[in-house]
Amino acid sequence: MSTAATAPRRVAIPVPVRRRRTRHWRRHAIHGAGAALLFLALLPVLWLVQMSFRPNADILNAGLIFAPTLDNYWALGSAGFPASFLNSLLASTGSTVLSLVIGVPAAFSLARYRFRANKQIAMWILVTRMAPPIAFTIPFFLAFTWLGLMDTVSGLVLIYLTFNLAMVVWTMKSFFDAVPRSLEEAAWIDGAGVWQAFLRVTLPLAAPGLAATGILCFILSWNDFFFALILTRTNAMTAPVAIVNFMQYAGWEWGKIAAAGVVVLLPVLVFTFFVRSYLVRGLMAGGVKE
Amino acid sequence: MTAVTWSAEQRRAFTLGLLPALIVLAAVTLGPACYLVITSLTPLTPLTPGSGLDFSTPLANYSQALLDSSFVHSVWLQLELSAITVGLQTLVGLGLALLLNIESRFMEAVRTGFLVPMVLPPIVVAIIWKVLYTPGISPLYAVLNALGIAAGSLVTDPATALPALAVADTWEWFPFTLLMVLAALQMMPKEPLEAARIDGAGAWQMFWYVRLPFIRPALTVVVLFRLIDSIKAFPLIYVITNGGPGQATEVTNYYAFIQTFNFAYWGYGSAIATMMVLGVFVLSLIVARLGGTQAVTE
Repeated sequence: MSTAATAPRRVAIPVPVRRRRTRHWRRHAIHGAGAALLFLALLPVLWLVQMSFRPNADILNAGLIFAPTLDNYWALGSAGFPASFLNSLLASTGSTVLSLVIGVPAAFSLARYRFRANKQIAMWILVTRMAPPIAFTIPFFLAFTWLGLMDTVSGLVLIYLTFNLAMVVWTMKSFFDAVPRSLEEAAWIDGAGVWQAFLRVTLPLAAPGLAATGILCFILSWNDFFFALILTRTNAMTAPVAIVNFMQYAGWEWGKIAAAGVVVLLPVLVFTFFVRSYLVRGLMAGGVKE
Repeated sequence: MTAVTWSAEQRRAFTLGLLPALIVLAAVTLGPACYLVITSLTPLTPLTPGSGLDFSTPLANYSQALLDSSFVHSVWLQLELSAITVGLQTLVGLGLALLLNIESRFMEAVRTGFLVPMVLPPIVVAIIWKVLYTPGISPLYAVLNALGIAAGSLVTDPATALPALAVADTWEWFPFTLLMVLAALQMMPKEPLEAARIDGAGAWQMFWYVRLPFIRPALTVVVLFRLIDSIKAFPLIYVITNGGPGQATEVTNYYAFIQTFNFAYWGYGSAIATMMVLGVFVLSLIVARLGGTQAVTE
């Protein structure tokens, strides 16, 4: 605005300039409000983080000045927490990979071919996304007891398919919808089969979507508490269940509980950062309009 | 001739791509759903051998539920919890979305920050609010005391336990409404807003007559999504109140959990779960009718 070229204009039409200036001021005010509100919204998380660095003797003190320590984190190592963390990692990764392998071709088929039952399949996927976990837990509990899958990581991988598979089919379909068909058709003309063209042409173009979907699956599985609470005991116990056990059996060691919470939330935060723009779409997965 | 074989081959290839997913999805969802309905028709419990095959009074669990005052109470509590939390989330999310509705790189960063509460593992959310609601270690009570408000423990008082849970749930999920409404607002064409401004519409009129009608489809779907998810709230209740004090926070989902896994009334728990699935199914039909994802993201 201060350059010589724009100066005469400022004289010629003063009103919009003033309006722009007030708008500029308004923008700053909104930015400030946004930052302040965000800080307020994140305070509860920050409180947990500071608790995890507090020395045990100081945990009940609400004052903000203390000598930070990593003791609470080291204590997790001896409490068997790493094994639970590993179980979480295995179950989440396993279920993610499996649901991508099964779900991605299905999503592509639904995106490219008008099956007569498209509408019904979409509704089915929506209901799966919406169904209360307890409805799956009771039959799975009975079946797992019978099949010997109780308290195993494989069992968790299976039950996580209930939400992951539906999510993969739904979000990947929308990514494939966005890839133009003409490229595959060109590959077909060159003699490629349907799945050859898919692997060589379409999938590479949808790679960012594939990564985002995989990360979403991982987060959803990682965040599960209910299924793991009921379907695991000790061998396959996941990190969220281990935290609750700290609460119930280890007395109220708040520092250790807070440290475990931070360890569990960290991977989710890192992944969220990578998929932030896709996340909202993923969480809405299952909304239907065919 | 070749066109026909090609389209037949295509059809075969796509069916082949779809089939494994449908089979697995059926195995992990339809199968268990059928099993759930079947067990709901029996008095199944591990304490009585053979109870899983006893279909002599198939609807006994359902008629028992209607006469079970704890179950009826849990349904009312569920309605109360859902109403408070969905109402609060909608108000807070919508209000903030209107306030923060400008496009800039800075605002994008702020919006990413608001994702945090809803992507946190629910168990971590539960721990955070357990800490906040435990007098002695909670900064919340420290602040209230400093302000001269003598608040007792909110979650051990039957009158405040459920609203306290609703507040925690609102904190976790208001970003969902916020982000969805923001996305809808930013897709709004500029012309109607300009026209209304030229006609001298005030801020409130702009919202009520111009913005709200535009975002209404998205808002409706968001509210329904949150309504359905509010029925499934579990970790917060499990960690913070465990259904108590008394039965003050024993909502239907939690009641089904207790009946099934604490008392081993598997048949009865299945019947409650079946009724929950039916309720969710009806709500899902409404979501589908209203246009789902497309109304919001496209």
